[in-house]
Amino acid sequence: MTRSRSVAVIVAAVAAVAVLAPAAPASAHAQLLSSVPAAGAALPEAPSVVTLRFSEDLNPEFTTVVLSNAAQQRIPAAPPVVAAATATVSVDGPLTAGAYTVAYRVVSKDGHTVQGSYGFTVGPPPSAAAAPSAVAAVSNDSGGIPAGLLISLAVLGAALIAAAAYFATSGRRPKRT
Amino acid sequence: MTSRRRLLAGGAAVAGLGVAGGAAVAATTGRDAPAPVAAAVALTTGTATVPFHGPRQAGIAEDPPAHASFVAFTLPAGADRRALARMMRLLTDDARRLTQGVPALGDTDATLAVLPARLTVTFGFGPGLYRAAGLEPPVTDLPTFKIDRLERRWSGGDLLLQICADDPLTVAHTQRMLIKDTRPFASVRWVQQGFRRSPGVQAPEHTQRNVLGQMDGTANPRGAEIEPAVWNQDGSTQLVVRRIRAEIETWDILAVADKENAVGRRLESGAPLSGTQERDEPDFAKLDASGLPAMPDFSHVTRARVTDPAMKILRRPYNYDGAPNAAGHPDSGLIFASYQRDIAQQYVPIQQRLADKDLLNEWITPIGSAVFAVPPGCDEDGWIGEQVLA
Repeated sequence: MTRSRSVAVIVAAVAAVAVLAPAAPASAHAQLLSSVPAAGAALPEAPSVVTLRFSEDLNPEFTTVVLSNAAQQRIPAAPPVVAAATATVSVDGPLTAGAYTVAYRVVSKDGHTVQGSYGFTVGPPPSAAAAPSAVAAVSNDSGGIPAGLLISLAVLGAALIAAAAYFATSGRRPKRT
Repeated sequence: MTSRRRLLAGGAAVAGLGVAGGAAVAATTGRDAPAPVAAAVALTTGTATVPFHGPRQAGIAEDPPAHASFVAFTLPAGADRRALARMMRLLTDDARRLTQGVPALGDTDATLAVLPARLTVTFGFGPGLYRAAGLEPPVTDLPTFKIDRLERRWSGGDLLLQICADDPLTVAHTQRMLIKDTRPFASVRWVQQGFRRSPGVQAPEHTQRNVLGQMDGTANPRGAEIEPAVWNQDGSTQLVVRRIRAEIETWDILAVADKENAVGRRLESGAPLSGTQERDEPDFAKLDASGLPAMPDFSHVTRARVTDPAMKILRRPYNYDGAPNAAGHPDSGLIFASYQRDIAQQYVPIQQRLADKDLLNEWITPIGSAVFAVPPGCDEDGWIGEQVLA
């Protein structure tokens, strides 16, 4: 492999990353900044409200926040009350001990839909099996693939292209192992 | 030799198509093509007719032809019932001729009348026509919706002609002839011209797309469902025409998933977000793994849903695409037209829900609005509107 070839391969790989990688993180889109209860919280007592705070003001018409139990049953609650960048859901009855999931779907000012979910638990520490599945907050854009995954895929794709280019230009095929 | 003769025959057959026909033939000359492209075009499109006479007007329940012109008129002060009856007799007579491929009375370009291409002419009466005739209007202007940005130049009207055909020259000629008929009686208020896919491009039952790329009309009543939703006992119906501007510049910056959330359907398949096929009934109770409804509660389909078949509306929309401005921004949108028995009972509740909450409102703006009562059809000796004006 000549020097100029390897330069070409590197240039191709960089170009591939530039083309395949999604645009810079969408800072203009609404993001969940914090919540009460917090993601992954283990609460000794049941909360009566769930409050989510976002990075930009919400449109109450386009704000959905729902609460589900470990059996994925919806917990009865009034529609969220929106004040500026905050959405608050009041739970109709007391929550029993167990794992819960908060899910939200909001629309950014530019019309971009943002949705995600996180979990918390109420009562004595549950057995491992009953722990909320989404202790780490799961967030994605428009129900699509998270940007981080897209970037990883783009980088992986670029690496594969670079590898293919290397083997193609060096006139050898990869050895099977 | 054989193939060359066939090519020449094909060339003669498409001579009238000009550049496009010539190009099609030229493209085949270099190869051993069995038949020129143009020869495969069915020439029945031009001669096809839709019956004009009957208890109901044509141009409503049939599959919409590719081109339409909606022409609204304003009556002068002092127009009376007798003058309106004279006008409608003239218009009916020329509409029954032109729709059957017969030139209008005194047609100054009779050769343009011989290819009706499924031409229909449908008449609607606005509230003002009834008042001029001293009658109580069966339709009233729509309430004001907060999303409306109505412009006078696209709104209202005392009389409407909906002219539809599979060919734009046929529509143009018909519009010209019928407007001539109205000149002594009324003035043109607005004209809205629109289009759908051309004949032969897609199967007729295929749901069409609007300029935003969305399947448009999936939830329409079909077959026997049309009867209870559209027709009154006497053969009359009612029509809403609204001009909906598409905000293409902001729509274009959305990701596909954002567009799908706004509508509640997949863009490509037209399937509801709760299903996999276009005709799947949307499941508004379906939740995803996190508990969110699969059909966003702010999406267009969720907000527009109608469960009672008799309360559905028959949408018969056309796209419009005007000249872009100097910056290159399109002037595109939808000439929304819907037929229903009763505008107040069927259309208004749907539109009110959409005006209250519908994410799609971020990218569409109603800029014109008009309502018309559509009188019954007529027989060979009758005229449209005779039940109202005779």
